[in-house]
Amino acid sequence: MSALDTKFATVEVVRRGLKDVGYIATTQIAHTVYLAYHLGKPVLVEGPAGGGKTELAKAAALFMGVPLIRLQCYEGLDESKALYEWKYGKQLLYTQLLKDKLDRVIEGETGLAESIEKLHQYDDIFFSPQFLEPRPLLKALQEKDGAVLLVDEVDKSDDEFEAFLLEILSDFQVSIPEIGTIEATSKPFVFLTSNSTRELGEALRRRCLHLYISFPEQALEREIVMTRVPGISERLTRQLVSFIHQVRKLDIKKLPSVSETIDWAKTLVILHAETLDKDMVRETLNTFLKAQEDIRVTEEKLYALTEHAIREAN
Amino acid sequence: MDRTLENFITALRRSGVRISVAETMDALRAADLSGYGDRLLLKDFLSASLAKSMPEKEIFEVCFSRFFALDYITGEDFLLENEGLPPTLQGEAPLTQIFMSGDVGGLAMALRAAGERADIRSIQSWTQKGLFMQRLFQELGLEGLNRDIRTLAEIGGQDAVNQVKALKSMRDNLMERVRNLVERQLELYAAQRQYELSEGYIRNARLSALDERDLARIHKIIQRMVKHLKDRYSRRAKAARRGHLDFRKTFRKSITYGGLPFDTHWKSKKIDRPEIVVICDVSRSVSNIVRFFLLILYSLNEVISRIRSFVFCTNLVDVSPLFETHPLPEALAMLRSGAGIPILLSRTDYGGSLLDFRNQYSDCLTKKATVIILGDARNNYAEPHTEVLRMISERCKRLIWLNPETPSLWGSGDSEMKKYLPYCSIARECSTLRHLERVVEYLLRVHNR
Repeated sequence: MSALDTKFATVEVVRRGLKDVGYIATTQIAHTVYLAYHLGKPVLVEGPAGGGKTELAKAAALFMGVPLIRLQCYEGLDESKALYEWKYGKQLLYTQLLKDKLDRVIEGETGLAESIEKLHQYDDIFFSPQFLEPRPLLKALQEKDGAVLLVDEVDKSDDEFEAFLLEILSDFQVSIPEIGTIEATSKPFVFLTSNSTRELGEALRRRCLHLYISFPEQALEREIVMTRVPGISERLTRQLVSFIHQVRKLDIKKLPSVSETIDWAKTLVILHAETLDKDMVRETLNTFLKAQEDIRVTEEKLYALTEHAIREAN
Repeated sequence: MDRTLENFITALRRSGVRISVAETMDALRAADLSGYGDRLLLKDFLSASLAKSMPEKEIFEVCFSRFFALDYITGEDFLLENEGLPPTLQGEAPLTQIFMSGDVGGLAMALRAAGERADIRSIQSWTQKGLFMQRLFQELGLEGLNRDIRTLAEIGGQDAVNQVKALKSMRDNLMERVRNLVERQLELYAAQRQYELSEGYIRNARLSALDERDLARIHKIIQRMVKHLKDRYSRRAKAARRGHLDFRKTFRKSITYGGLPFDTHWKSKKIDRPEIVVICDVSRSVSNIVRFFLLILYSLNEVISRIRSFVFCTNLVDVSPLFETHPLPEALAMLRSGAGIPILLSRTDYGGSLLDFRNQYSDCLTKKATVIILGDARNNYAEPHTEVLRMISERCKRLIWLNPETPSLWGSGDSEMKKYLPYCSIARECSTLRHLERVVEYLLRVHNR
């Protein structure tokens, strides 16, 4: 049994391992990660922004002790940015430097055809792995001890790129015309995240396991805050998590994410807050609300929200 | 293959979750890993490998809890009453024996086996409930139990009377549970049978005849249709953008550079995207088709340059602002409910509406515009005002009339279709999704000719 297999021995081990690296996973998340490892399948993670999708991949990499290779998707992302590129500069430089050598090689040959014939014996020296610039996808395949590959916000890429991903996700191999097929030395653990700005194709979904991460329950979010913000009192944690959960129920444009809850908690700790009070809340609202309209809506109900949070925490 | 899982996947498919063979294999491996002991583990594993989007996850939740709920055989309550009763009769029927020995597991097994034998999975509609309950009772051997109860009653005596009472209450309990079981199976295997309506069927079915429940499916099909059309027609535009070499212009310019064709010029056809004016009858008979037609048109905004839309019934109203200020689904919902639109929904008046159009909105009739009128042309014997239609037809590029009725009905009764027909560039029947698709495709294809 390899070292990784012991790390994925049971769901509980996975869950504890993720917790040790600072990621509090719900049972569902732990279950899916465990299953994905044992089936060797990519995981497609969906859910609201700031729910911890990207964090999960980072935590998994830390937990497994392998590098995290991240591919940020955007419109217009293509093979040369995602997979590999030839080092044109290096190729050019080398041909210049080796000009004398090349001359000597074809010395004595008279005709053009013969010279080219001679050069052919040296094969594709300028198209060899030394001149290959690996981009995230190829890098992930080449990692000897495996890696966590994070394809972030795959919904932002175009349909063409999505189709291109399919080969890699199902066979873990890519073909480079000049060199041949490169297979993964050890299969990377793949996470794809999506915010559903675009409906992803059926084919991609079929190849992945699917995980939906919504905002955590209060108890879980408290646990997250406590792990991430050392030195915060339990009472304050209760109050602020309860406050955030109320804000998420309001009719606002962008709901505060988990990472923003953590930011707010950190801010409050720096300000030496012991308990929520509405003046302090008003001044720190902008740590988790980023639109003027949202701040206005929340400020109107500030008093009631704070009162309720304090009452609920007791 | 694992029978339970197979049944579960069937139930999921029937509820509208698309599951491929590869996913089935994943689910099998997942179930192997988890086993059936830990329900939560099993659920998360299957959910990750079978339900791949939010709507599918919701369906999955419901299906899973229905499928793996075993509460119809918890059973303690009907075996408790048996305690402390010395059996007068051991009973011959297997059911009596199970009852008397208090064997819950045995009862569950018997119920399950009876379900298999009665082929309860083939249940399709609630009208079959009685039939399947009868079959289950038969397979369970209820007959034997009844016989035993009768024998007991004939024996008489306090003990026997008590036992009869206990057995009867247990029998009633069992009947109740069988009823639950059948209902649950019905929900699982048949309630959402609509999803089995194939895509081909929906495409060809008359839209007015389709159920509200199919709406979600229709929307999905329309989405796919729109994507297809978009792909096809935006690609063409890309290829055509560069055009071919404008030899004369290049040659003329080359004189400046001493005869070298240094500065090349390209003849590119200007791609103008169709400008569309839609005039829709929204009386009940056509409202469904109007809704889908507008949905398709507005989803195609990348390949269509401008849409003006009007709806009419007794009078005519410009609804384009509605689509500019609201997201598409909302605008369509408003159109449906009629909220915030000054439209009178009494007698359909084609003539009056055409006059309204001429008097207020004739500015949108340009040589680039294609005018599409959607309606059955049933004018309730009022003045059809064909001269207005002629004016429209003369001033626009093309006039298309889409009629939800079949051509053989055109002109019958109060239909004025025959009178309007001469002024239409094309008139077509349009009552199914396939018709709609053809019309839109035609629009995009012929536009540049």
